[in-house]
Amino acid sequence: MSQTQLAPARFDAEAAPLVEMRGIEKHFGGVVAVDGVSLDLRPGEVVGVLGHNGAGKSCLMRILSGAMAPSHGEIRIGGDVVEMGSPQDARAHGVETIYQTLALADHLDAPSNLFLGRELKTRLGNLDDKRMLAEARKVLATLNPNFTNLKDPVSSLSGGQRQVIAIARAIYFDVKILIMDEPTAALGPSETAMVADLIRKLRAQGIGIFLVSHDMHDVFDLCDRVVVMNKGKLVGAHPIDEVHKDDILSLIIKGELPTDWRPRNLEAAQ
Amino acid sequence: MANISQPSQGAWTRMLPSSTAAFHRISALLTLAILVIAFSFASPAFLSVNNTLTILLQTSVIGLLGIGMTMVIITGGIDLSVGSVLALSGTVTGMMVKAGVPVVPAMMLGVCMGAACGLFNGFVVTKMKITPFVATLGMMLIARGAALQLTGAAPISQLGEAFGVLGNGALFRMVEMGDNGFPRVIFPGIPYPAILLVVIAIAASYMLRRRAIGRHIYATGSNEEAARLSGVLVDRTKLIAYTLSGALAGVAGNVLMSRLITAQPSEGVMYELDAIAAAVIGGASLMGGVGGISGTMIGAFIIGVLRNGLNMGGVSSFIQQIVIGFVVIGAVYIDQLRNRR
Repeated sequence: MSQTQLAPARFDAEAAPLVEMRGIEKHFGGVVAVDGVSLDLRPGEVVGVLGHNGAGKSCLMRILSGAMAPSHGEIRIGGDVVEMGSPQDARAHGVETIYQTLALADHLDAPSNLFLGRELKTRLGNLDDKRMLAEARKVLATLNPNFTNLKDPVSSLSGGQRQVIAIARAIYFDVKILIMDEPTAALGPSETAMVADLIRKLRAQGIGIFLVSHDMHDVFDLCDRVVVMNKGKLVGAHPIDEVHKDDILSLIIKGELPTDWRPRNLEAAQ
Repeated sequence: MANISQPSQGAWTRMLPSSTAAFHRISALLTLAILVIAFSFASPAFLSVNNTLTILLQTSVIGLLGIGMTMVIITGGIDLSVGSVLALSGTVTGMMVKAGVPVVPAMMLGVCMGAACGLFNGFVVTKMKITPFVATLGMMLIARGAALQLTGAAPISQLGEAFGVLGNGALFRMVEMGDNGFPRVIFPGIPYPAILLVVIAIAASYMLRRRAIGRHIYATGSNEEAARLSGVLVDRTKLIAYTLSGALAGVAGNVLMSRLITAQPSEGVMYELDAIAAAVIGGASLMGGVGGISGTMIGAFIIGVLRNGLNMGGVSSFIQQIVIGFVVIGAVYIDQLRNRR
């Protein structure tokens, strides 16, 4: 039963959690979208969040990103209870979100989008477009060296380029907790590989990541832990080396593990 | 970096949101030039100094309304109340002057009245979540009704000479006494309304292009949800846009009433449509996110020149409405054709 032979822990499981969500509930009238979910995230940990459409995972992530207020429950960041009343609040606590819709203003160019809501200004309070352009050029080049059309409205860019802007916007600022909602759904293979590399790089920097994804390959490739939601409830939370793909599918579909389930790492050790 | 277009962009081109907007502006400017040339051939008096000044005066009211309208349209909204707010602001100023308040504070109060109407519009749109069309349609009736009720539907006249200075005065006006004892105008000067329009247009353009609030106005109209998630205070942004539109309607009302030296509660009917037409001809999109002050100014002058030129050509005001209606449809159609490419 030597766990050391298996996938080594890539984060410090003993470290204080970055985020602690406790008893989060969200009601829409009579519908319970999130039902008493408690979930932690540690520095350098990548947690895959899975579930059907409508299982409540996007809702939970929106609560953490400040886009939606929970009906009940509390969120602690760095041990302190925080109020996530708005996306600005979340950002002030180092929570950045890459939305599946990307949340870009189509008529604005890449630098304007990157700095939207936290524009760089000159001493007189004017927009410092020159500096924003230079900074955008720098950060976008690290993600995609071919990104040069920075002055075009983002509506004229490719899906991959738009995704890169959304990612750049999340990592440019002081991010501690990153929520990625289907970051590779609209991407080709090389761009997907770029995102995977980026996740590994951010993890190495001690950033905690929630990765909402439907892609099992991504989840097994990148995540340290996987949590599954079903009908608003958290039905499973397992280190990735404990479970098979079929176990996760069972959790997603039935809301429970197969009856004959044994942790994968124990099977392998036998 | 070979495919960055226009590597050596000057300061003024950087102010443009995109090349399509620039293209639209050039085509609108061309239209304006063609109109001016055509009308000068049709009527020799068209290009005279006096007529040019008249056009400036007539356009300043549409232009002021159009600036506010452009901001609201960029946020993805519309302000149907500006014609009525113009009348209410002008009559409030008139009543103040009549009651003995000096002209300058009275005019400021009138502008504040307009701003208050705009703030109310913004409140209804953002907090009560009523669509801008309906919200400002309501204000259109409220403001007009208030103006008529306050005055008993009667114009307020005999407001004194000082009240007429803003609308009728001019900078650098040079007059000499002729030999016959009558004054002779050497240079008619630059009318105050035209100066006011230029100053406000520059200020508005600066706000939209160089200040964060301007960028937020574009972002809100471009993708409201994205703007909200990016930390833009969308409601506050809209409130500011509607309030400025109301305040500028107040300014326009004071200019217009001052020019008439009479506070007319029934002035400005359908002016909102001219303002919308100016913005749309100038390239603003009613879907939001697109538009600019320079475009709207060109649009305002196209309407002003059309009105004036057709007047001088003896075309009835009914026909003028028909022509301007077609111009609006044509301008939007050409814009769509270009965007489809």
